[in-house]
Amino acid sequence: MRQLHFQPITGKALDILDTILHTLEVASCKEVFGDVRMVCEELVVNVVDYAYPDRTDGYLDVEIEKDEHAITIRLKDGGVAFNPLEVEAPDITKPLEERQIGGLGIFIMLKKMDAVSYERIDNENILTIKKWL
Amino acid sequence: MENQFELAQEGTILTIKLGEELATANATALMEEIKNYCETGVEKVVFDATRLNYIASSGIRAIIYAKRKLGGNPAIEFVNCAQSIRDVLKMVGIEGYITFASK
Repeated sequence: MRQLHFQPITGKALDILDTILHTLEVASCKEVFGDVRMVCEELVVNVVDYAYPDRTDGYLDVEIEKDEHAITIRLKDGGVAFNPLEVEAPDITKPLEERQIGGLGIFIMLKKMDAVSYERIDNENILTIKKWL
Repeated sequence: MENQFELAQEGTILTIKLGEELATANATALMEEIKNYCETGVEKVVFDATRLNYIASSGIRAIIYAKRKLGGNPAIEFVNCAQSIRDVLKMVGIEGYITFASK
C-alpha cells in the first residue's frame, strides 16, 4: 500500500493532486485514469479549501491500494467533520439558467466511483473511494 | 500551467477557445475573464473545445457561470467537443442545454 502524507496543505491542492496522479498505482490505471483523476481533484480541493478554515498546519494523508480488481484510495484529514454522503444532491433537472453554479463535485464522485464510504474516527474524516478495474 | 484559454467577442457572440484542460488550475481565471463580458450584449457563447480533453467540476462551473452571469441568458455552443467531454456534460445534466457543432 502506498502512503502519502501532506502537511501543510494550504494552497497546495494542485501539487498534492499531481503527486497522487503520478504514483505507480494511479498512473497505471489506464482505463479508469480519467475518472480517478476527476474524483481525486474534487476530493483534494475540498480538503485543502474547506477542511481547515482556521488553521494553516492541516494535513492530508492518502493511502492507495491497487490489485488486479480495483484501485482504492483513502483520504484522511483532521479538519472539521464533513460527511460528503450527507450532502444533498444537486437538482440536475433544473434549467441551466437556474442551476447552482457549484456543488457538482460530490455528485461526480458518486457517479464515477463504484464504492464510496465515509467514517469519522478519532477526529479524522476518512473517505474511501473504490473503482473497479 | 498557463490558463489555456482565449476570449474574443464579435458582435453578440463570445468565443472562448479552450486549451487541453478546464479544471481547478484555470477555471477560476476563466470565470474572472468571463466577468469582463457581463452586460455587453452577448447572446451566444461558443466554446471551442477542439483541444479539450479533460474537464473537472470546476470547469463545468465555468460553463454554468457563463450562462447565468453574462446577462441575457445566452445560448451555449460547443464546437468540436470530444465524446468523453460530452459524456461528462451529459452526466451532470447540462448536455441538453448546449448545442454541439463540428467545424
